[in-house]
Amino acid sequence: MKNLVLVGVSHHTAPIEVRERLAFPEDQISVALQQLRGEAHVQEGLIVSTCNRVEMIADSTDSNGDRFLREFLHRFHRLSPGDLDGYLYTHRCHDVVRHVFRVASSLDSMVVGEPQILSQLKTAYREAARAGSLGRSLKSLLPRAFFVAKRVRNETSIAQSPVSISSVAVELANKIFGDLTGKTILMVGAGKMGELAARNLVSSGAREVFVTNRSPERAHQLAARFHGSLVPFEHLDDYLVRADIVLVSTGASHFVLDRTHMLAVVRRRKYRPLFIIDISVPRNVDPLVNDIENIFVYDVDDLQSVIESNLDDRRREAEIAEGIINQEVENYVRRLSANHIGPLIADLRRRMEEICLQELDRHSGSLEEAQLELMERILKRTAHRLAHPLILKIKETDSSPSRRLHNLELIKQVFDLDEDP
Amino acid sequence: MGSLLFTAAFCSYVVGLIHSLVSFATKRDLFYRVALAAVGLGFGLHTAFLVFQAVDQAHFPLATLKESLAFFAWTVSLCFLISHLRFGVKAIGLFLLPLVAVLMLGTVFIKASPVPRALESYWVFLHSTFIFLAYGMLFVAFIAGFLYLFQERELKNKRPKTFYHRLPSLVVLDDLFFKFLVSGFCFMTVGLLAGVIWAEKDWVTGWQKDPKVLAALVTWGIYLVLLYLKVTAGWRGKRAALLSMAGFISALFAFLGANYFGGLHAF
Repeated sequence: MKNLVLVGVSHHTAPIEVRERLAFPEDQISVALQQLRGEAHVQEGLIVSTCNRVEMIADSTDSNGDRFLREFLHRFHRLSPGDLDGYLYTHRCHDVVRHVFRVASSLDSMVVGEPQILSQLKTAYREAARAGSLGRSLKSLLPRAFFVAKRVRNETSIAQSPVSISSVAVELANKIFGDLTGKTILMVGAGKMGELAARNLVSSGAREVFVTNRSPERAHQLAARFHGSLVPFEHLDDYLVRADIVLVSTGASHFVLDRTHMLAVVRRRKYRPLFIIDISVPRNVDPLVNDIENIFVYDVDDLQSVIESNLDDRRREAEIAEGIINQEVENYVRRLSANHIGPLIADLRRRMEEICLQELDRHSGSLEEAQLELMERILKRTAHRLAHPLILKIKETDSSPSRRLHNLELIKQVFDLDEDP
Repeated sequence: MGSLLFTAAFCSYVVGLIHSLVSFATKRDLFYRVALAAVGLGFGLHTAFLVFQAVDQAHFPLATLKESLAFFAWTVSLCFLISHLRFGVKAIGLFLLPLVAVLMLGTVFIKASPVPRALESYWVFLHSTFIFLAYGMLFVAFIAGFLYLFQERELKNKRPKTFYHRLPSLVVLDDLFFKFLVSGFCFMTVGLLAGVIWAEKDWVTGWQKDPKVLAALVTWGIYLVLLYLKVTAGWRGKRAALLSMAGFISALFAFLGANYFGGLHAF
């Protein structure tokens, strides 16, 4: 890790109009990676392009590597300088490590904990590997980030509670019935939203689907799509008794299911639990029905409030995850700087000797063989003694890893050292 | 040897209890697995302790109050293991394990009393063993009933909180409730029958009017009604939970309380 650098935009910093202009279309990624790799100061590069973020990670030979990335981004997307002012963010050194770890663990996502970003990152990594734009730094950083993401998923429940309407509906059904295998769904009305929810329930195991509607044509198609059966609206009650989950989405402006009606139904059901999801606006199920024993009515707002509370849960879990990230960044940076110390110390000694001996070279003509040898010995010793306090500083273990890395970088810059020539 | 086994069992249970609390608080499965292992170990040690007691003192260790409590603790921890293995219900440990710990601790503070002469019969052991197993199971049913109430309330309130995420589904809780209710009831029936046979054969006359016997009959009656309503009218949720609470309180009264009213069945 010489000059690890990251430049990008995300939903935190840029509106969709900017993000879509910067996005790298799938078929252009490998071209972009090759161009990036061809840049003079870029040794390794990776491009992540999703609908919520566009990021370029690179290892540069220059300490201002981010400048080249920014220029590249402008050039590739044919933007004039200044177009992206205020949208781009830049990270360097260990901040890149932290950022990549957070992104992989889905802590930086719009919906915290959503699982796609990790696979998107993995795809980006594979793309870069194929384009040959990966080197030692990124080949160690990204796999570590995948590991950290896995750790976060295992050790927190950040991704557990569902945060979309239809997945919440499935989870609620699970909390009532345990297993949805073999459960019966009754669809009252043939609305689009109802169909979506039904699809989710069926893919979670629900077996039988009944559809009923005032007008049979649309209901008929719907029933066919689920291999279900169309039942006459007049027999609604019989099917309310049979069903486990009822999806209501009619266009009616009144309550299709009311309290007195459902009281009779629940008695005929012998109080077996019934889950009613009312996706219609205006509502088609009297909210009072929820007060009946073993009937659970959720309307759109209720589902939304469950989502809100699940999001709160995720945010709480995210705090635990941040702790894991901190720990992992420290570990990573510490290991990285430890790997660099050995060669760096040798380089530093050699560089110091070089400087001293260069001086000697200039005067070597006026010295005898014996004197020259003596001077060389003295100068080498001086070089080592000069290097000593610097080496102590490098080896110092009580300062934080990021501070040590900073010291290392500073010494490397001052003495113009490079660990892999 | 006996007290060593007992102490080891008690310590395992406490470790299990603590880990089960932590796993409930943090939702981390790892702690629960530790809790399960600890309770399993505790149960093994506890069983060894009971066997040792029986061999050492040459009588079934269920004759005195001290022994009864230890045996009851054993049945409750058995029920916890069954709830996990058979139903996968984890949250119930939160309620069963404290009871186990308290019962175990309780036996330490009760002085060992001599074994009453009346209790030296085969029927008595059958009677008390089955009754205590029934108590354990009915306690689980009672807790399951209340967990059902908690989960039902969270679902009705539509603001999922603590219990929503940690409790299993209503159907699983109801299943747990029903199965433990039925088996508890069967064990109780067998236990009571054994008691009646023994009383007829060996015990004093007039046992039918003993307060403890009457309380046991009331308890049995309550559970019979509950079972009947559950099977025929599909009772679940609040009504079932409350009735099972009544049944359990009545059972508790039969076990401990009835002795204060005097009577023959002072053991």
